[in-house]
Amino acid sequence: MTYDDPIAALATPLGRSALAVVRCSGEGCIELMATAFSRPEALREAAGHTVVYGRLLNHGREGQAELVDELTAVVFRAPRSYTGEDVIELVCHGSPKTVESVLGLLRRLGFRPAEPGEFTLRAFLAGKIDLTQAEAVAELIDARTHRARSLALRRLSGSVAERINAVKARLVEISAAVEIHLDYPEEDSSEVAPPVQALAAAIADLERLVATYATGKRLRDGAPVAIAGRTNAGKSSLFNVLLREDRSIVSELHGTTRDYIEQGIEIDGIPVTLYDTAGLREPGGAIESEGIRRSEVIMANAAAVVYLVDGAEPPSEPNWRQELEAVRARSGGGVIAVWHKIDRAGAGVPPGFIGVSSVSGEGLDVLRNALRRVILPASTAESEAAVIESDRQKQLIDRAVEALRRVREGLAEQVPLDLVAVDLQEALSALGEITGEVSSAELLDVMFSKFCVGK
Amino acid sequence: MKFDAIVIGGGHAAIEAALAVARLNYSVLQITQNLDTIGKLSCNPAIGGLAKGNLVREIDALGGEMGRLIDRTMIQFRVLNRSRGPAVQAPRAQADKSSYQQAAKSALESQPNLVLFQDTVVDFVLSPDGTRVQGVVTERGKRLRSDAVIVTTGTFLNGRIFVGEYSRSAGRLGEPAAHGLDEALRRAGHRLGRMKTGTPPRVARSSLDLGKMEEQHGDPEIVPFSFTHDSVNRPQRPCYITFTNPGTKRVIEAAIHRSPLYSGKIVGIGPRYCPSIEDKVVRFPERERHQIFVEPEGLNTDEMYLNGVSSSLPEDVQEEFIHTIAGLEHAEIVRPGYAVEYDYIDPMQLRPSLESKLVRGLFVAGQTNGSSGYEEAAAQGIIAGINAVRSLQGAEPLILTRAEAYIGVLIDDLVTLGTNEPYRMFTSRAEHRLSLRHDSSDLRLLEKGYRVGLQSPARWEQFQEKRRRIEESKELLHKRRVSELEAAQYSEELKLQRQAGKSFHQLLKNPEITIEHLRRIDSTVLPELPGEWVRQIELDVKYEGYVSRQDKQIERFRKMESMRIPQDLRYHGLEGLSNEAREKLEAVQPLSIGQASRISGVRNSDIAILMVALARSTRTRAPGNGNGRDQ
Repeated sequence: MTYDDPIAALATPLGRSALAVVRCSGEGCIELMATAFSRPEALREAAGHTVVYGRLLNHGREGQAELVDELTAVVFRAPRSYTGEDVIELVCHGSPKTVESVLGLLRRLGFRPAEPGEFTLRAFLAGKIDLTQAEAVAELIDARTHRARSLALRRLSGSVAERINAVKARLVEISAAVEIHLDYPEEDSSEVAPPVQALAAAIADLERLVATYATGKRLRDGAPVAIAGRTNAGKSSLFNVLLREDRSIVSELHGTTRDYIEQGIEIDGIPVTLYDTAGLREPGGAIESEGIRRSEVIMANAAAVVYLVDGAEPPSEPNWRQELEAVRARSGGGVIAVWHKIDRAGAGVPPGFIGVSSVSGEGLDVLRNALRRVILPASTAESEAAVIESDRQKQLIDRAVEALRRVREGLAEQVPLDLVAVDLQEALSALGEITGEVSSAELLDVMFSKFCVGK
Repeated sequence: MKFDAIVIGGGHAAIEAALAVARLNYSVLQITQNLDTIGKLSCNPAIGGLAKGNLVREIDALGGEMGRLIDRTMIQFRVLNRSRGPAVQAPRAQADKSSYQQAAKSALESQPNLVLFQDTVVDFVLSPDGTRVQGVVTERGKRLRSDAVIVTTGTFLNGRIFVGEYSRSAGRLGEPAAHGLDEALRRAGHRLGRMKTGTPPRVARSSLDLGKMEEQHGDPEIVPFSFTHDSVNRPQRPCYITFTNPGTKRVIEAAIHRSPLYSGKIVGIGPRYCPSIEDKVVRFPERERHQIFVEPEGLNTDEMYLNGVSSSLPEDVQEEFIHTIAGLEHAEIVRPGYAVEYDYIDPMQLRPSLESKLVRGLFVAGQTNGSSGYEEAAAQGIIAGINAVRSLQGAEPLILTRAEAYIGVLIDDLVTLGTNEPYRMFTSRAEHRLSLRHDSSDLRLLEKGYRVGLQSPARWEQFQEKRRRIEESKELLHKRRVSELEAAQYSEELKLQRQAGKSFHQLLKNPEITIEHLRRIDSTVLPELPGEWVRQIELDVKYEGYVSRQDKQIERFRKMESMRIPQDLRYHGLEGLSNEAREKLEAVQPLSIGQASRISGVRNSDIAILMVALARSTRTRAPGNGNGRDQ
């Protein structure tokens, strides 16, 4: 782990706003940024604490340049900056789409996405912030180990360590066999059988763990869930009843009622952002209002769309079937069909629908379970207690898997064992970095993950 | 009379230490109990082997003697692990023990600035405050002055040997132990412990049935250990292989209670990796047989060494179990196997320069530091010798890193982790194994040897020429490309179809293709070079990818290593450190964050606190300069 490579992260909350600030720090970060800046010299020559106006360009392979955003760059020169390194704060337009393009470009330029708290960590190591007292650090460490952040999360991260340690133990065994073989060439021991099966098992284990990343991301970032349906289907009442039931409302997000309402709630410990979308119109007679267009964007980004049908006054079957198809086509995630107002519904609930009453609360449990299953990928929802949480964990596991694949190939191609051992070591050290046993620097990252990204 | 340095001992550490001091133009007195046993190979008649062969070549690259000694006295040469990859191949040679000793002694005798003297050192002369060494006191009452003293007592310090119920004070069978220095070291504040090692019986060749054993011959081609030798031409003698059997096991099991190891007489800890035969039988009861190498002790002796059956069982039991073994049914034991227990100093009390943290000018090397093996001893010897001189000069010590030498791994392990069994080098102890090939020892270390003054300007010139020509050759391989014609011509033989336009360098990365093959395509592709160089180029190119991956790991390591810890840092004042870490850090006084992170019992959180403390102190010392990188 190094502490001066260029990193970047959004420093303002992700969401619609007029402006957003993307903070970049690290050795060579100004030069790196200049390669995509419309006025590279202005940026290179900028003194500390100055603002440079320009455009951020995505240079294609054929020399064409695509405009990413028009923005201002606030330049800070080392050591007079928050982190003590060269820092650029990009003040760009605030739409999530723009911010994403800016971050994407920075990644391609060579900026690593900052870990949670990494700017603070750098500031701290550079002696820039007041936390430099060792006592404070010790307290932080204690806080990390003793004070539960959240019971669920601690349990989860513990089981990740367990899983990784299990794989590590297996690899250490393979490694020990290889090393003995290498260091005792004359021992009267039979050749080590190539540990093909154990390797395959380790790789499979790690791949399963990587697959939980999506779940981890959901757990961390929350899952967007849209409630869709006709204007009179009772979206708002369902929305409200879900809100009321949840006593752990995390925060009131920005974006007060416009055409849709959004609210952060928790469903069985999973943070969920609930969107009450504008009503769907019958296809064909649709008036392309701005509100509906937005609803569609929300559905496209949703982990799940709850499609409501008013069971008390249901539309004709061909109609709801058509609507349901349209919703399925638009949803970025799964779709849960709800036959609403069953307290007043005449006929039975059609197959594939969950009957729910916002008035009596009937069916809400079923709905919540369905939501959880849809939000968390199926393979991990129930069976996987271990869920990886951070980009860094994912990258390290990926690195280990890659190294182990090379080990497997190496053994198959009869590459000399000492070379194979390099990759085995690489895999072990990557896993060790996750559990913090190999790289001491790892702890600093963990410690500072208590701080929010970009702060 | 005053000498610049005094070396205590006559073993492999002492030889390198004394020669290093003298070759750096400082006067040195080497005091040993018996001039006739200088350079004695107390145990197996071989030098080199896995990782150890690398140590020998590293010593040679620095300007040491061991490689030259074995090149002149070997009676069999083999490269071990030929089939298992470049980094774990290692040269090993059987030695003619008595020639080796003679060669070692004459190297010392012919060395200007070096004086040999037979006596036993029993005490140090210390400064009044006890923090500096000023000389030594011998058994015969001599007080000899010196500001640098190098202790290499091997198995002699308070040594005691065991053969079954028999036990005597001795350093080797028939050679008296040394007493006095143990107390002197303790008085100066050092912690001492006990360690144990052992040696197998020697048998008369004339009494063996060699026809029942498998012969093991050396390689036809001998690769010199020393980079100063172009070739070695020596007579080669075979070794023989036989095995223990269930009968052997029964004899040992029945007599196990008579072993001093199991009766509790020996308290010292023996090496796990080189167990006695009784240990093997007890710990691996399921194994029906254990391998024995029967090795000649020399050209002009009838004695044979039974590698693999080190034992301290009573002599009658040794005889009985040996007679169960094929080919050894009538073996006459001429010297019994025995265990030896001796004092060692906890090496965590030493700096990475091998100087004591408690007494300035006092250096310790070899088995006294808890290591085992001739090569490990010699490696510490040369470093102690160099650093004794550097301390006299007031210069920075020579400290090799784990990334550049097995010697670096060896000393870092000893002074950082300590050891609770005789420490032997293995390739798996080196994180950077691929970069520590034996054939690259000169490329890694010769310059250091030259800079400290052990390698002559002429040798340095020669080496630079080698380095230049190797680089040029690699350039040539990059530039030379396969023509359409060549691709067609060798499409079958070397599978060159569709390889036209590729460089020879790229071709060489193919495991199937060697430089010899390339020369078949174009005999002029490389200038005539010594075979070893060609091999080196080939390995460098072939394994580039692996090496660069390992280099990345080394890079990470370098960052940690380059975060220096000021030696006046008070761990006491650092809030938040665990008590264990504080004690260990105080004891080890690591030079860098890297070294600190390897200390057992120092947790990641302790390292975090340390890094913070460092960041703060460097900030107050040198504003704007984060972590002072060395070199």
